[in-house]
Amino acid sequence: MKKFIRKVAWFLLPIVVLAYPIDYFLSTNLKKSKQYAEGEYLVWNDIYDGRIDAGIAIYGSSRAWHHFDTQIIEDSLHATAYNFGIDAHNFWLEYLRHKEYLEHNKKPKLILLSVDVFSLEKKPELINADQFLPYMFKKDVREFTSSYEGFSWFDYRLPLLRYYGKTEVMLRAVKNAAGMDRGAPARVKGYMGVKRKWNSDMDMAKQRKKHYRLNLDSASIRLFGTFLAECRNNGIPVVIVYSPEYIEGQHFTQNREEGMDLYRSFSQQYKVPFLDYSADTMCTQKEYFYNATHLNRDGADLFTRKLVTDLKNKVPALLPSHP
Amino acid sequence: MLFNSIIFAFFLPAVFCLYWFVFHKSLRLQNALLLAASYFFYGWWDWRFLFLLLFSTLLDFFTGARMAASRTTATRKFWLWLSIITNVGFLGVFKYYDFFITSFTEALARTGLHIHPGLLNVILPVGISFYTFHGLSYVIDVYNKRIPAERNFVDYAVFVSFFPLLVAGPIERATHLLPQIKAKRVFDYTRAADGLKQILWGLVKKIVIADQCAYYTEMIFAHSASYGGSTLVLGVVLFTFQIYGDFSGYSDIAIGTARLFGIDLLRNFAYPFFSRDIAEYWRRWHISLTTWFRDYLYIPLGGSRGGTWMRVRNTFIVFLISGLWHGANWTYIVWGGLNALFMLPLLLTGKQRIHLDTVAQGRVWPTLRETGAMLLTFALAVFAFIFFRAESMHHAWSYLAGIFSPSLLSVPYFPGVGKMPFLLLLIALFMLAEWQGREYHHALARLGATWKRPVRYALYYGLLIAIFCLGSDKTQQFIYFQF
Repeated sequence: MKKFIRKVAWFLLPIVVLAYPIDYFLSTNLKKSKQYAEGEYLVWNDIYDGRIDAGIAIYGSSRAWHHFDTQIIEDSLHATAYNFGIDAHNFWLEYLRHKEYLEHNKKPKLILLSVDVFSLEKKPELINADQFLPYMFKKDVREFTSSYEGFSWFDYRLPLLRYYGKTEVMLRAVKNAAGMDRGAPARVKGYMGVKRKWNSDMDMAKQRKKHYRLNLDSASIRLFGTFLAECRNNGIPVVIVYSPEYIEGQHFTQNREEGMDLYRSFSQQYKVPFLDYSADTMCTQKEYFYNATHLNRDGADLFTRKLVTDLKNKVPALLPSHP
Repeated sequence: MLFNSIIFAFFLPAVFCLYWFVFHKSLRLQNALLLAASYFFYGWWDWRFLFLLLFSTLLDFFTGARMAASRTTATRKFWLWLSIITNVGFLGVFKYYDFFITSFTEALARTGLHIHPGLLNVILPVGISFYTFHGLSYVIDVYNKRIPAERNFVDYAVFVSFFPLLVAGPIERATHLLPQIKAKRVFDYTRAADGLKQILWGLVKKIVIADQCAYYTEMIFAHSASYGGSTLVLGVVLFTFQIYGDFSGYSDIAIGTARLFGIDLLRNFAYPFFSRDIAEYWRRWHISLTTWFRDYLYIPLGGSRGGTWMRVRNTFIVFLISGLWHGANWTYIVWGGLNALFMLPLLLTGKQRIHLDTVAQGRVWPTLRETGAMLLTFALAVFAFIFFRAESMHHAWSYLAGIFSPSLLSVPYFPGVGKMPFLLLLIALFMLAEWQGREYHHALARLGATWKRPVRYALYYGLLIAIFCLGSDKTQQFIYFQF
């Protein structure tokens, strides 16, 4: 028996010893990806490396990521800006970014919080889970992502295990180590415009379901309130923005008003401005969208210009460039 | 709990250490530990079905005891049939009720009579077909006085629910397993080391071969109408490797795990793709089920004793019921029937037992004739697997029609076809490893056995790296769990 245990231990020893350095190698090099995982590593790296010094921080989902052109905002408002939009996720993980951002960087002077009817829903699956791989031993990342289906208890605690079966990811890390990732960064200060024309997403959604019914998540709603209260206590002004949504998409969500009412009530309760573009003329112009919820680059360009004008006119006192 | 899950990688060493270090002084405690571990293993999947397992175990234990206490044959027969009817009744309710009702309703509808009986739509408790057959083998053997009735409930419960074999076999016999459970086990280094190798090889079969094939077979079978004949042929060939890798991989892990606890389970696969005719194939494929049906169905039906006609009839009955055992779908029954049909020429000519040895025994390579025979047998197995894998009879027919179309001669094309050479290379290497080990219980028993330790360890590390890199990041269930 002793011989058996000894031999098994000797056999496993190199695996245990090498697991940490291999994990470190993979994680360090995976983080260098400029385009993989929708370019989210660029944002996470900027956050954890404390490189963000933004006067205006833009929070939200893919709608924030694709709609708020940081360059236009910076040029028009004469303030630095950074887009933290996280693809396919609701407020739950947007808050994680906010938390990590404040912990490692200077706080912003203004937060533009992009919302949509899905912001207070919570999907069970951890979409684009690979973006978290290099950062999974961080306590907050574990706390906020572990409530999704995606990683096991062991993945957060043992080295290398979370890379199991992720051949593509591992190859990418090796390529990055060899300096073979020569693509341009997917995001500039977090923003990425999408040069696409109207696609079939809406038709496919209609084929699957006649209508979409919102299923609001009470934990996300509570977190939203906590966030607004925290910002108020920290002296960070917030403007809630509902960027344009194509009219067909607005009608598709059966209980859309339920979500909108929540934002209105949060706006009143915490006295934060709410700029709602649901009735903007853009919402009936298909050429500005590539699907019902996302503007294309032309749409994002026009919307950002409208937004900065509105910010100047409606909430000038909140702007960082305000004397 | 799945063998290929991370939780099992912690569960197994924990039970192993408790078994050999904490409870090693008492056989009773060791068996109690095995029972508790087995129930934990099963309950991890769905604890509610533990009650069904417990009921089935109690039923067979009790009826076995009653049979042993009975003085008359009639009473013994009563207890035997009570057990058989209850066990088969459970299987019938959970597995076949909806199927028979739907088939009956459809048959009536063809005569113009429309009825709408309620369906149960219950989840099939995992492993029910396996542990029911364990229990049945026990009561039949007690009835036939092949073994005495077990008096210790814990020992009997371990026999039924020993975790390595609980959910997908091998289907054990009380005559083989119970004496091992009742005997003091001594740790045997060679046996345990070989068990670890068999576990490793089983994981390779499951993760490197079966799961890799599964990606393509699922895609090709799900969208079979969109693909050409050659792609459909490739799809079913890959499915054949998938199911072999999946099920024989599971059996290897089960057998290897049991060996760590000093228990030998029945062999379940013996390189079936190196069979020279379909009869040999069935002596090498899912051996524990084939021999179960032979002993508890074929022989009681008269076996071969009544001449050729009786042999043919009984073979067809066994194969059809074996098909039905796999699932409540006509496709499985047709799969069974096809295999019986393939056996027919051998049965009629009395040549069903001419290949009892291992192919190319003592030689490196097979002869041309042997190669041809193996390829033909493989082709027959592949053909039958179209029905096994298809969702319905309609799907199977349309799949066949797709194969036998002009596109049969086209180059296979489907999303991800560029990665196919890599998968085919993996399969070729796997089959080479299997070929060199065909005279052993598993391929790793020979592969590397005579190599120097560093080279041998390099092989094991290489296999572990292959498992790590090629594994699916979503744990894949074993196919036979659904049966």
